[in-house]
Amino acid sequence: MNELFNLNLLFSTIRLATPLILAALGGMFSERSGVINIALEGLMLAGAFTAASITYYAGSPWVGLFAAILAGACIAMIHAVVCIRYKADQVVSGTAINILLTGAPALLSGAFFLSSGSTPQVPEQHLIPYTPIVIAFALVPLTWYVLNRTPFGLRLRAVGENPEAADAAGVSVNRMRYTAVLLSGALAGIGGAYLSIGQSSLFTRNMTSGRGFIALAALIFGKWRPVQTMLACLLFGFTEAIAIQLQGVRFGGEEIPNQFIQIIPYVLTIVVLAGFIGQSRAPRALGIPYQKER
Amino acid sequence: MKLRLFLIAGLVCSLLLAGTSCRQEASADEKGKIRVGIVFDIGGKDDRSFNAAAFVGVKCAETGKRPDGQPCEDNKGALGIVLRDVEPGNPVSIEPAMRAFAERGYDLIIGVGFAQAPIMDVVAKDYPNIHFAIVDGASQLPNVASLVFKEHEGSYLVGVIAARESKTGTLGFIGGMDIGLIHRFAVGYEEGAKSVNPNARVIVNYVGVTDTAWNNPGKGKELALAQIGKGADVIFTAAGNSGLGAFDAVEQQGKDASGRAKDFVIGVDSNQNGVKPGFVLTSMVKRVDNAVYQIVSDVVNHQFKGGFHIYGLESDGVAYAMDDNNRALIPPDVIQQAEEAKQKIIAGQIKVTDAMTK
Repeated sequence: MNELFNLNLLFSTIRLATPLILAALGGMFSERSGVINIALEGLMLAGAFTAASITYYAGSPWVGLFAAILAGACIAMIHAVVCIRYKADQVVSGTAINILLTGAPALLSGAFFLSSGSTPQVPEQHLIPYTPIVIAFALVPLTWYVLNRTPFGLRLRAVGENPEAADAAGVSVNRMRYTAVLLSGALAGIGGAYLSIGQSSLFTRNMTSGRGFIALAALIFGKWRPVQTMLACLLFGFTEAIAIQLQGVRFGGEEIPNQFIQIIPYVLTIVVLAGFIGQSRAPRALGIPYQKER
Repeated sequence: MKLRLFLIAGLVCSLLLAGTSCRQEASADEKGKIRVGIVFDIGGKDDRSFNAAAFVGVKCAETGKRPDGQPCEDNKGALGIVLRDVEPGNPVSIEPAMRAFAERGYDLIIGVGFAQAPIMDVVAKDYPNIHFAIVDGASQLPNVASLVFKEHEGSYLVGVIAARESKTGTLGFIGGMDIGLIHRFAVGYEEGAKSVNPNARVIVNYVGVTDTAWNNPGKGKELALAQIGKGADVIFTAAGNSGLGAFDAVEQQGKDASGRAKDFVIGVDSNQNGVKPGFVLTSMVKRVDNAVYQIVSDVVNHQFKGGFHIYGLESDGVAYAMDDNNRALIPPDVIQQAEEAKQKIIAGQIKVTDAMTK
């Protein structure tokens, strides 16, 4: 058993939770302001591809990370304009962005690297395996503070709960929402950058493999609150880490069948969601475009 | 509401565009040439591994040059064919891609990867006059050539090398999808390792159970780090793009005072020795390129035969890769031992278990 519960398991959990935390905190800003963001998967892919490409060309992960933030924000801007300016269905827009980002990197990598969906490998000295982890865990208390203790956070929450009242109090609902969606893109972009230039050393097609949606689940599971969301992300990271560590471990001389181990994250997620989540209340104005009264 | 309509219209347009871009009629310079269509696996032709090897084969047949512009090995010259390729974004687009080639009367349609075998069975039945070839799959139809490899034999040899080079006696194996074909690599590797060191322990891990398992380098790296944490110092990957994560993991462990890597990885399918020079012990190459080139050449020369085309050690269809990147890593007596095992397998003195027929 000491082969299972050790420091490796802890570190693995933290590494696996990091991209989830970054994306989920991003999603939190957007959703607390009232804009559904199921585009997290696509925003992460945008960040991951940009980070790997720019780092490869510029030879600096910091330029790559910055570019990933910009790329995430730019793609999020599309979501913001479509949802806020044109009041489109937020789920449809998010889905469209996810579809766009499964195809766009393949097209661009063809133009830049004569490849179809992956980038060249970034040399090891240009990787940033730790910085995004620090950013992710530092952002949790920061987000809590911003949301709960600053005028900006108060306005953000007001816009997501009762935009009419916020408007009446002189808050520009749309400007708050634009800011929030852009922030979500920037944070998901960092999450993607961690996947391509932190955890691995290249971008491959659809390398997020569903992490954006898991982050969204963690956000809902964490009741749209920073600390709870972080704990949810750690739980999801832990289930994956334990599935990794369990493979090949013997219990009483017998190896556990691999298929059983592979289902652990899913079973644990269902058990936790069904048993412990309690009531989870979304921001009241979530998904409703704001129409100013005339 | 208007915008939603606009979005849907845009989506439909882009789908139509995607459809028309494939719909190129045979142009004048294509007349009279053999036309070959290839449908890649989900990993895509840039996986630096399995699909990449298939792409080298067809590219050599088309131009006489590898995709990177280097000349082809073994005097494989251009065969004067027209080549079109498709990289399906998801499993459901494989069948339409195959049918599109068939509808336009292509002479040979190649499917890459075990997952396409059942699909090809369905399509090939509808077009009995077109030649098909499936890499890593099996079909009973007379117009389908099944290009299969004795991966277990090649894996046995890298297992021998891995066990000789390991200091801890613990080895790692990272497979992509948890399927019979990949079990074949794992079982051969373990048998090879145990033939040298009966006490060797092989930790066998798989990235996942769905096709995303081929494209998850982050998880590949985590699995490799977990294996290293349990004492593994040589890790054999058979996981497409996910395997590249294991390369990063061993590089991260660094080198010891003598300048030798602390942990090694063994590449797969293509020669991956140059991906992280010094950290890659060898690669279990599977000459998909040769097999694919051969079948194209058969069609060009009107010698196409359906049924099984089996590539093993005797024809260098599978082998361990030695080049300037890894020659210094493996002492001559280890090479000699691997060569002896190779001769014994060819002669039938050593029987390596084939996990797919077990």
